[in-house]
Amino acid sequence: MNAEELIQMNNEKRKQLSKENKEYYEEMLVYVRLSYDKSDQETEEILAELLDHLLEAQAEGKTAEDVFGREPKKYTDEIIGELPKMVTKKRMQYFIMGVLYFLAAIAFYSGIATLFSHYVLGIEPLTKTYYTGTLALKTLINIPVAFVILYAALQYIRWSCFKKINKVVEFFLSALLGIVAIGLFMLVIFVVPDFGPSVQIPFYVTLLLGVVLYLVGRRVRKAI
Amino acid sequence: MSIRSQLLKGILEGCILAVVDRQTVYGYELSLKLQDYGLSVSEGSIYPILLRLQKEKLIRGEMQKSPTGPNRKYYYLTDEGAEALEEFKVNWEGLKSPVDRLLHKEE
Repeated sequence: MNAEELIQMNNEKRKQLSKENKEYYEEMLVYVRLSYDKSDQETEEILAELLDHLLEAQAEGKTAEDVFGREPKKYTDEIIGELPKMVTKKRMQYFIMGVLYFLAAIAFYSGIATLFSHYVLGIEPLTKTYYTGTLALKTLINIPVAFVILYAALQYIRWSCFKKINKVVEFFLSALLGIVAIGLFMLVIFVVPDFGPSVQIPFYVTLLLGVVLYLVGRRVRKAI
Repeated sequence: MSIRSQLLKGILEGCILAVVDRQTVYGYELSLKLQDYGLSVSEGSIYPILLRLQKEKLIRGEMQKSPTGPNRKYYYLTDEGAEALEEFKVNWEGLKSPVDRLLHKEE
């Protein structure tokens, strides 16, 4: 069974858990899956084992707390500590996939934005002028920025696991993260000057490029 | 980690190797077996140890159909595991009698 099949089986089996056991287990599940540098195969195998164990224990009238103890975070940290690291080749594939998806999103949405500003706002032509130097530099800066934001988001979710955080506080923290993220990208857009040879690119080329990049990214994902 | 839990972990590792040596087991079965022998460890504590033993190649897990139907991960002792178990037995014997004598103040 590969990781994907194990995930699907896990989703099905989790429905058999009682409310409190499910809450306990799902916290563990999210926390373990967030340890992104671990082998996903091994991660899903141990999660399946823990779930199977909990289901058998539940049938005997035991709770998740009886099985895994009163300190879920400490226990889960112990599990994560023993999981083998993901192999470098796989990591590279995930990295390339991420970059392709990111660029696909940028290309696709700038195509949509051009359409919107032309037809709805009536301000821009359908063919835009891009400066190759600017494009290259923005891309080069934005990729690490995107990874930093992703990393921050992951760390934030990890931090919030096993904590009973007030919903209002939670909302403001996520909003803050979102604002900082958008702000960073905006900063890059405004700071990088126009330079390099200019090219004329019509909106449908940008849209198509987005779709193509997305498909290539998906190919990479399927190959992992 | 405290000395006590370190000591327990090492002993628990040896005990798990001993159980797997007698028969192939899956996780839940293993925790029941340990309880049958009177080892009162929390059930979940076997999983970090199972992961470590796999990393050290002392046991290997294989997905198989169980008699009751569902796929389970069954554990087997490897050759390295058998060696480690022998070593544990020697170490344990070397510890057991002196500690017993000390505790019971035998002359």
